[in-house]
Amino acid sequence: MLRRGKVRRRWLGVLMLVLTMPMAMADEVVGTLGAVGSDTLAGLMLRWGEQLTDRHPGVRLQLQASGSASAPPALMAGTTRLGPMSRAMSDAERGDFVEHHGYPPVAIEVARDALVVVVHRHNPLEGLRLTEVDAIFSDTRRCGGEQAITRWRELGIERPDGPLALHGRNAASGTYGLFRQRALCNGDFRVRLDEHPGSAAVVAAVAASPRAIGYAGRNHLTAGVRALTLVDAEGNAYRPDPERVRQGDYPLSRTLYLYLNLPPGQALPGPERAFVELILSPEGQETVTELGFVALPQATLERQRRRLGLNDAP
Amino acid sequence: MSDPSPSLHLRQRLRRGRDRLATALITAGGIGVVAALLAIGVFLVVEVLPLFWPAPADTGADVSWQALWLPQSYEGYDAPQHRWQPTVTSAEERPQYGMTPLVWGTLKAAAWALVIAVPLALGAAIHSALFMSRRLRSRIKPTLELMEALPGVVIGFIAGLVLAPWVERHLAGALAMVVLLPPGVLIAGWGWTRLPAPLRRGLPLGWAGLWLIPWLLVLVTAALALAPWLEAGWFGGDLRGWLETRLGLEYASRNAVIVGLAMGFAVMPSIYALAEDALSGVPASLAEGAQALGATRWQTLWQVMLPAASPGVFSAVMIGAGRAVGETMIVLMASGNAALMTLSPFDGMRSMAASIAIELPEAALGGTHYRLLLLAALALFVFTFLVNTLAEVVRVRLRRRYRRLGGAP
Amino acid sequence: MMPRVLPRRRWGEGPWPWLAAGSVALSLLALGALLLLLAGRGLGHFWPAPVALVELENGHRLAGEAVKEEPPGEEASGTRGRERLYRTANRDLDAGSWTWVALEAIADVSHPSELVVLERRRWGDFIGRLVAVERDGRALGEGASAWPVLQARLDALQALRDEQARLRRESILPLAARLAAGPDAEASRELALANARRRALQAEADRDRLVLESVDGRRLEQPLAEVVRAWRPNAMSPLEKLAAWGQGVWRFLSEGPRAANTAGGVWPAIFGTVLMVLLMSVLVTPFGVLAAVYLNEVAHQGRLTRLVRIAVRNLAGVPSIVYGVFGLGVFVHGIGGSLDGWFFEEALPSPTFGTGGLLWASLTLALLTLPVVIVATEEGLARIPDHQREGALALGATRLEMLARVVLPMAAPAMLTGVILAVARAAGEVAPLMLVGVAKLAPQVPVDGDFPFLHLDRKFMHLGYHIFDTAFHGGDVQAALPLVYATALLLVLVILVLNLTAIFLRHHLKVRHGALPRV
Repeated sequence: MLRRGKVRRRWLGVLMLVLTMPMAMADEVVGTLGAVGSDTLAGLMLRWGEQLTDRHPGVRLQLQASGSASAPPALMAGTTRLGPMSRAMSDAERGDFVEHHGYPPVAIEVARDALVVVVHRHNPLEGLRLTEVDAIFSDTRRCGGEQAITRWRELGIERPDGPLALHGRNAASGTYGLFRQRALCNGDFRVRLDEHPGSAAVVAAVAASPRAIGYAGRNHLTAGVRALTLVDAEGNAYRPDPERVRQGDYPLSRTLYLYLNLPPGQALPGPERAFVELILSPEGQETVTELGFVALPQATLERQRRRLGLNDAP
Repeated sequence: MSDPSPSLHLRQRLRRGRDRLATALITAGGIGVVAALLAIGVFLVVEVLPLFWPAPADTGADVSWQALWLPQSYEGYDAPQHRWQPTVTSAEERPQYGMTPLVWGTLKAAAWALVIAVPLALGAAIHSALFMSRRLRSRIKPTLELMEALPGVVIGFIAGLVLAPWVERHLAGALAMVVLLPPGVLIAGWGWTRLPAPLRRGLPLGWAGLWLIPWLLVLVTAALALAPWLEAGWFGGDLRGWLETRLGLEYASRNAVIVGLAMGFAVMPSIYALAEDALSGVPASLAEGAQALGATRWQTLWQVMLPAASPGVFSAVMIGAGRAVGETMIVLMASGNAALMTLSPFDGMRSMAASIAIELPEAALGGTHYRLLLLAALALFVFTFLVNTLAEVVRVRLRRRYRRLGGAP
Repeated sequence: MMPRVLPRRRWGEGPWPWLAAGSVALSLLALGALLLLLAGRGLGHFWPAPVALVELENGHRLAGEAVKEEPPGEEASGTRGRERLYRTANRDLDAGSWTWVALEAIADVSHPSELVVLERRRWGDFIGRLVAVERDGRALGEGASAWPVLQARLDALQALRDEQARLRRESILPLAARLAAGPDAEASRELALANARRRALQAEADRDRLVLESVDGRRLEQPLAEVVRAWRPNAMSPLEKLAAWGQGVWRFLSEGPRAANTAGGVWPAIFGTVLMVLLMSVLVTPFGVLAAVYLNEVAHQGRLTRLVRIAVRNLAGVPSIVYGVFGLGVFVHGIGGSLDGWFFEEALPSPTFGTGGLLWASLTLALLTLPVVIVATEEGLARIPDHQREGALALGATRLEMLARVVLPMAAPAMLTGVILAVARAAGEVAPLMLVGVAKLAPQVPVDGDFPFLHLDRKFMHLGYHIFDTAFHGGDVQAALPLVYATALLLVLVILVLNLTAIFLRHHLKVRHGALPRV
């Protein structure tokens, strides 16, 4: 065993030396990256982390995913240098950061995502008007919902009958914030809405009951649930298809960000640079598709690469 | 050799010094450890205090003692409301800090847990203290203690992702089970008295805890088989619809009963262990006296042992209540976390412990939200501390009473 | 109410004892059902399930593993019959990897033996047929001969992977650590060379490709380097399946998670849990024993001591989340923040100890379990009769000698019981850890070859949190569930073993000290 290993090693050593002489590069990247933020992005960040370690074995990523709202305080306090967020920073959060550090954080678009309103696969409902979404999910109905909708009959559905069972995310998540902003116009959620601590739990709950309706990230869709078409005020219907989401037409689409704490004029430190390079590369964007998100348009990728001073993709 | 006393003397002094030093160290260490433990309460009070003192306005917080507990009028509502919505998504919004729903949810979850756990635990304690064969008891007690060690996250996962959907799908079956199990067990008891004597000796009451299990399985199967028929016959084919139209109860899939079942399962072993200790600790002379006068074991239990052991049973229930109030993962995973204030057993709730676990990492350090969550922690601390102290005091009394009554502890 | 109302000869003890017995039976049944559920779902997942080729009435074909069946929902009565869920995988070809099929729509189900299942690093599993194995575009094997060739190539690939892993472990990571400590030209050059060798190995692995075909006839080119393993479940004998099952269980225990925790194993979580618990016991044992000795042997046994004793006992009943809050406020923000300010200023604004981590988690849990150890040790101390102490003192021993030579050895089993109970409690606690330092994924375990070897400031993975996270946050909840069951089973087993040890010890202790009168 030992001898065989030794022989193989020597053989490989020679082979590699011959093969790789010209490929040896200077400036190898090492270090640890810490990231605090969105749990929507958690799966994606983990995969990018794995790929980063594949590319640069000396780099590792540590992720704490507890919701987008946890990223700005962590960036501000300096707990982390990377803040993945499933929404743009609010003015207040940005203001706090500027006040603390004297410069704004750098925002990098990393992927597109959409929230979908889901129902059980047996539910015959095809689509909803946005005002109906408001009437279903909101108590204050600021987005034009006229009458509260609490029963399936009020949506013209015979079966299932009975009340709608509402499912959503807990308040710390970006999913919650986005839905509240876009679909509820910052109104209050219905009190009678189950706040699950993860999108997977929302989908599991909806998949278990034909009376349930809920909202979750598009990447959590499984065979047990169906995403609804949304109809805006002008009567345009939007399905949550990748193309619609990429262009941003779909009303509940959003951009996923990675925020960086980078003083102006400074170059990205090695590990961060490698990470961002990976994300904006074709490989990184394929991972985006693989995990159920929507890859960025080519133009956006190139614009960001230029802005950050990264090499063009191979 | 000629004069050993100086070195002996020296050694003696060294030993004494070492002893004194060790005693001092132990004292310092012991007091330190105890102080560190008690510091928890002090820390919480110190962190919560800035909310209300020097003056609420100074902290920039929009909370006052009344605002926390009384319904508030918010924009867009006709009537004042209890609402817990501590995060805002736009600058114009103001966070809603009504803590009453959280307290309500905590107590509701704990109450349902006790509704499930207390009868089960007391029944089990009575059976194992009075009727169970010795050999079986020495096995069953550790088994139920192992049940106590099951992690909350596992029970919560099963309750939230397996039990809740299952019950929602088989609502009538679950109801049928609840209705069928107690009479079913009684039928087993009645049937047992009709058995020929040899068979009866083969299935003694002392081992009923074991041989009833297959019978329970039969009952569960029967309940599930009968359920559609039951639903069609009594509830017009749709139990959920019936609940809603007749009783006005909406059925949420994650609700108080599910939480009660899961948490009852979790706290039942600790209540059982303490109640069993209290019952089996009743001096034998008391029970023997009653039985010599012709009382059955059950009559002895009801009229002699339970009154004697009641403080112990009470303290067992108190300990269970303390555990149920503070249990976090089960409630977080199985309750739905909707901050509702209803009496309905089929509605969800949001508890203080679950709110702390899920919101505290995101709350800005030192902000109002952070301090309010610490207030919730303080409330949990004070509540469980008081409940446990009460239980402990009662238990000490009980021990003294047993000693007086029976001599042996 | 009174059993008296029923004639005794008919009911024996009356109806009530039966209800009491029923509650024992019901509790045992619930416990058994829970454990069976965990064991069945958790362990069953690793058994290679047969792959069915399903032909539908409308001519469509699909291949997949049957996962579960559901009766028609109450809402859809009349329109639908039973439905079956198939795991069809192939997420890069179809949109999803699950398909619900109505049983009425199935024309035929067969289990052809040539269907392969590939476990891949990207896009999840593949289920379909293997057409050819190619190397640099030339076919190495086609049709029936492709399968043996694939096996051989996979073995070769494994050797390359091992070599890569060795390279990473033995040269790249140490070099990276040297570089992280400061600029070092030589290390940098060596690292570049090592990385280049690794890339060359990767290039060698990338030469092989598979041509695959789904059962409905779509072709797919698959780089072999992304294939982890391949099997043909329909062609396996029960013995082979058993071997595959054992291997699956072993991989679950020994590998790190992949695909955002929905595949792979839980090794870092096992390691993190055990390490955290070990650290906790190291912290809690001396302090717990110290406090117990003080309370029982040194302190004046007055009213105050009695009050303190009751208070300590009650702290065992304080919810764990409250300890978590204390840990976050005092350890992480208070002490950790100050430590960072004093010793790790150069690392600021990135905190070293000012964020949740291994040390703070262990400390918090140590505090949480302190009452358990104190109470257990005190009970052990109280059992020791006073004449033992008096005897030692009468022979001229000082108090320290009396404690160290007589009292503590006699109380040792009680202490041990206390520590084991503490460990069992700590291993299952999740809520406080959510506040003081678990990470969703920390593939780097907190012990490695870098100085100071044990990294107390690192975040770590934990079995209990892993359950919560995977079940509620995971991408594909349907795919993650079996792993959640398996993880839950593992956690329960660990805790059961610890508790059984404690029970055994306590029993042993009772036998040994049974003759001693209780105080």
